[in-house]
Amino acid sequence: MNSFVDLLISLPELFLVLTAMGMMVAGVYTSAGKAYTLISNAAVLSLFGAIGLVLFAKTGTTLAFNDLFINDGFAQYIKIILLLAAALVILIGDRAVRKIKIAHFEYPILIIFATIGMMLMVSANDLMSLYVGLELQSLALYVVAALNRDSLRSSEAGLKYFVLGALSSGMLLYGCSLIYGYAGTTSFTGLETAVAGASNISLGLLTGLVFLIVGLAFKVAAVPFHMWTPDVYEGAPTPVTAFFAAAPKVASMALFVRITMGPFQGMADQWQQIIIVLSILSMVLAALAAISQTNIKRLMAYSSIGHAGYALIGLGAGTKQGTTAILIYLAIYIVMVIGTFACILCMKRKGNSVEQINDLAGLGKSHPAIAAALLLFMFSMAGIPPLAGFFGKLYIFLAAIEAELYSLAVIGVLSSVVGSFYYLRIVKVMYFDNLSDELDSVTGKRISVIISLCALTILLFFLSPSLLVDSASTAASVLFEK
Amino acid sequence: MTDLLKEYVPIVIFLAIATGMAAAMLLASYIVARQKPDSEKLSAYECGFEAFDDARSQFDVRFYLVAILFIIFDLEVAFLFPWAVALGDIGVFGFWSMILFLGILTVGFIYEWRKGALEWE
Amino acid sequence: METLAVFLPLLGAILAGLFGFVLRDRGAVLVTSSLLTISAVLSWVLFYDVIWGTGPRTVHLLNWVSVDKFIFNWALLIDQLTVVMLVVVTTVSSVVHWYSIGYMHHDKSIPRFFAYLSFFTFFMLMLVTSDNLIQMFFGWEGVGLCSYLLIGFWFDKPSANAAAIKAFVVNRVGDFGYALGIFGVFVLFGTIQLDDIFLAASSKAEAKIIFLGIEFHAITVLCLLLFIGAMGKSAQLGLHTWLPDAMEGPTPVSALIHAATMVTAGVFMVCRLSPLFEYSETALAVVAVVGASTAFFAATVGLTQNDIKRVIAYSTCSQLGYMFFAAGLSAYGAAMFHLFTHAFFKALLFLGSGCVIHAMSDEQDMRKMGGIRKLVPITYIYMWIGSLALAGIGIPGLGGFAGFHSKDIILESAWAADSIFGYYSFWLGLIAALMTAFYSWRLLFLTFHGQARCDERTLAHVHESPAIMWVPLLVLAAGAVVAGYLGHTVFAGGGDQMRSFWGDALFMLPTHTALENAHKVPLWVKVSPLAAGLMGISIAYIFYIQNNKLPSNCAARFKPLYEISYNKWYFDELYDRIFVKPAFVIGRYLWKSGDGAVIDRLGPDGLAMVTLRFSRLVSILQTGYVYHYAFAMLIGLVGLVSWYVFSEFLR
Repeated sequence: MNSFVDLLISLPELFLVLTAMGMMVAGVYTSAGKAYTLISNAAVLSLFGAIGLVLFAKTGTTLAFNDLFINDGFAQYIKIILLLAAALVILIGDRAVRKIKIAHFEYPILIIFATIGMMLMVSANDLMSLYVGLELQSLALYVVAALNRDSLRSSEAGLKYFVLGALSSGMLLYGCSLIYGYAGTTSFTGLETAVAGASNISLGLLTGLVFLIVGLAFKVAAVPFHMWTPDVYEGAPTPVTAFFAAAPKVASMALFVRITMGPFQGMADQWQQIIIVLSILSMVLAALAAISQTNIKRLMAYSSIGHAGYALIGLGAGTKQGTTAILIYLAIYIVMVIGTFACILCMKRKGNSVEQINDLAGLGKSHPAIAAALLLFMFSMAGIPPLAGFFGKLYIFLAAIEAELYSLAVIGVLSSVVGSFYYLRIVKVMYFDNLSDELDSVTGKRISVIISLCALTILLFFLSPSLLVDSASTAASVLFEK
Repeated sequence: MTDLLKEYVPIVIFLAIATGMAAAMLLASYIVARQKPDSEKLSAYECGFEAFDDARSQFDVRFYLVAILFIIFDLEVAFLFPWAVALGDIGVFGFWSMILFLGILTVGFIYEWRKGALEWE
Repeated sequence: METLAVFLPLLGAILAGLFGFVLRDRGAVLVTSSLLTISAVLSWVLFYDVIWGTGPRTVHLLNWVSVDKFIFNWALLIDQLTVVMLVVVTTVSSVVHWYSIGYMHHDKSIPRFFAYLSFFTFFMLMLVTSDNLIQMFFGWEGVGLCSYLLIGFWFDKPSANAAAIKAFVVNRVGDFGYALGIFGVFVLFGTIQLDDIFLAASSKAEAKIIFLGIEFHAITVLCLLLFIGAMGKSAQLGLHTWLPDAMEGPTPVSALIHAATMVTAGVFMVCRLSPLFEYSETALAVVAVVGASTAFFAATVGLTQNDIKRVIAYSTCSQLGYMFFAAGLSAYGAAMFHLFTHAFFKALLFLGSGCVIHAMSDEQDMRKMGGIRKLVPITYIYMWIGSLALAGIGIPGLGGFAGFHSKDIILESAWAADSIFGYYSFWLGLIAALMTAFYSWRLLFLTFHGQARCDERTLAHVHESPAIMWVPLLVLAAGAVVAGYLGHTVFAGGGDQMRSFWGDALFMLPTHTALENAHKVPLWVKVSPLAAGLMGISIAYIFYIQNNKLPSNCAARFKPLYEISYNKWYFDELYDRIFVKPAFVIGRYLWKSGDGAVIDRLGPDGLAMVTLRFSRLVSILQTGYVYHYAFAMLIGLVGLVSWYVFSEFLR
């Protein structure tokens, strides 16, 4: 009954798969008017159920399905973030989705499928399961990007994402095949011994790794593989953009960590160079490009590119401390992003959502609560103490300094100075610019609750950072105890 | 070298027979059947639109829907063949895995059916 | 109790300053004034307790800095010197608070004013209660800050702003010396704790400091540096220019800060550090000479000023000079005694002149006053008492007004010091005493006697101050009358009574006997200050009552002398020429060509420009075409792969 144990190990994923399929069937048998409400509620519940399953799962590292699947503390940490992000995105997007008439019951189901894909990604212990998870995630995301079929921009976003995503998948697959060709195995465990045992690294294996990293860099939107991000973020429906900015980024980053710190640990000297280059490019370019943006979703796209750059610093450090810093950063990032997008989703004028930065003018007077929350998120993203974002950056930079990557840390700090300009500009527009046409008052209890929860988390994080830091450190140590 | 080539002999025979049969069928229909050609009959048939035409023309997306739905079940069969052959070796676990797979496909099938993807109008 | 006495004013300042909008004018006023009055009562209790009760003590409040040997804390040192200052500061301050209720009642921002006043008092108390140099510096800078805020209280008046800045900047010069002094003390003694310094002082008496290859007597250098700080704060010759200008502030402020308390901080500091100063003859000599010169100089300027407050300001400057030369001649008790009595009568004079200004509808020029003694009898009496005390009038052997005792003992000590600096001080002090009497009565006569020289409307409006203003002054008037008589034996008697009064707070080397011998001076020395005072009064009477053509005639006859005096010895013009204008020129140059053209253009502005340009460039890259995006990805991929291929080749 070994196979039965395998199923138990992947219980959260299986649970989600089964509920998602159940919801699909339930959805088609419910009348069109009620289907969305029913399914989205069910989706949120099942996501929270999955969080419960992850939380109460056995701790410790276990392998399943002929070592294709791994469940460990690292995967569990990321999975909780992912599931939470997915659930929150469905909750905050509720009204917006109905408003732009994409309230199909498939939307939450697709979000769940994407989430399952991401969970598989972070639990992958083999290049093949990695690819399967990645594609499951990507295919679901292509569809949600284009969910608003009647909107030209949404369709364009979906198509662009699909074409470029296919290209990146191709590169990733090509990398996998090169690695398999030169190392003779696709299993992470096997690769680790192969890499560690090799006296000198063959160029073929290295090229394969570069292709693999490029594929992943596309997913985390690191420069120069970021080009899709602004267009897709802007074009996709706002709730979908929120999801894009939150979950896939975290999952891909985790996968990045899993691969580089796991099987390719022995080649750290080699891949560190790429990561550092990607990280610098991402931070600098994002900081510069964001300055001249007028659309807040586009701005958030560049912001997410920049944040990917910062997270990559931790990866570039290649240490346990760096990994811990990434995990902390990702958790804080998710809260900031979800909070910010919740605020953006509240921006409506006469029932239509608006997304220009100038539309925020006078928000400080007309909607003091939302403005205050957005101010917190912006300050936190800019890394102003004592907000959570500051600590995220702090741990990252500390890790870089510990690893003696001084120039990287300096560039990071400098670009975050430049970056703080566009965050502060939003604050300036909200509080100091003259009132433009007043925005609608906020409706929705759930979204208000989520905004205030996120804001409180950001604001009060400094009271007890150890809550997060400890669990992140435990999760990171899993990758290093061997 | 010759050993390697020898292994391809059955394929060559297969190709020869296939070519022969195809030729025989075409020839037979050419000789036996009545020929009454018109423009519709002579035009090439490919998913309902011209084979050699400007690619950027509008066409009915339903053709593709059908094609995609077909491919899914086509692949299913492709999976089933090796499974059926190896069923004895993979045991109960292998059996139920495929049943699970088929179940998932069935869910998809129910979905597309209820969505009306199988109806032309 | 000690803590309460010091921190009640702070509480008042916080309540009035931060919650003034809740308390309103009335609440803020009452809160601050009552808290200060409580603090004053507590101070008097402390005064009694320390001197005749339990004796000196140190109250530890909080740890502050503890770095290796650099250790000091927040603490309140309550000894005899402190309690004398405590009662002076809190008493005058509470009187000024109550007085200000009447004086400021027209003002728009009353809570702010009272918050500043209380805040100032708190800092002054921190200064006098500190047991280390840093905490003293904290109080020192704090009173400087409050002085700045209060001088510039009417910030819509450009002259007030200019005066505030001037006071602040001139004080910085002194503070720089003080700070250097603290550094030096730490270098020499390895501590800035007062008692530790005093213990070690005798062993370091011969220590040398080598600077730029030249050997200096260490304690002399330290004392001179610290004295520069005292000069700045106490407006001594050279750094005095800010004090007259500080009269731009409201009159109660002048009374509190620029007469009774803050300006005496320098004297207090020299007395507090007497165990240090005693070991440097040179430093003491400098203190004495500077003090005596200031006393003389300020008195000459006071002769010719027309602004009622400026006359008193110069008088303050002059009296501070007395205190300093007393300290410089090791007569610390006499210095503190004069500080004590001076606080009462000078505050009385200022507040009295405030009543006059109030009565004259904010007119300060004495040439436009005159003949109002019948209209403001109480103020008139106050001014007389203050002037009598200032001029040191009394009956030898029986006693007299406050200044009679304190000024006499200073001059007698000067004579008794029996050194060249002592005689220098004595003669200059004596001449200054004559001039003091002259300008005091010139002020009285010009203001209250003769014909009214103001316009009709002002005259019709002249009225006695309300009770809230003149009742508190009773305290000061009483002090001006009896403080000298009651205090002269214990403060500066020179005998055992004085020793037991001061305890260890003041330190005099056995060889420094000025104060001891002050009581054994010839009779003419004892009588001469009184004679000088009476002479000054007589001259003033002749000049301004009997023959009021005489002043202008004199001015014309001795025009150069008059001009020098009237223009305050051209100090302001000199400083303006030497420091201010060149500083402006250099500043403007650095601003325009240094900061603007180089730093801004290459720094912030340039960076911002470059950033913006890059930003546009990056935005242009974002074309929206899928094939461009794919191309970018491929370029990136090729770049990364070729990076490895090339580095492989190079290896």
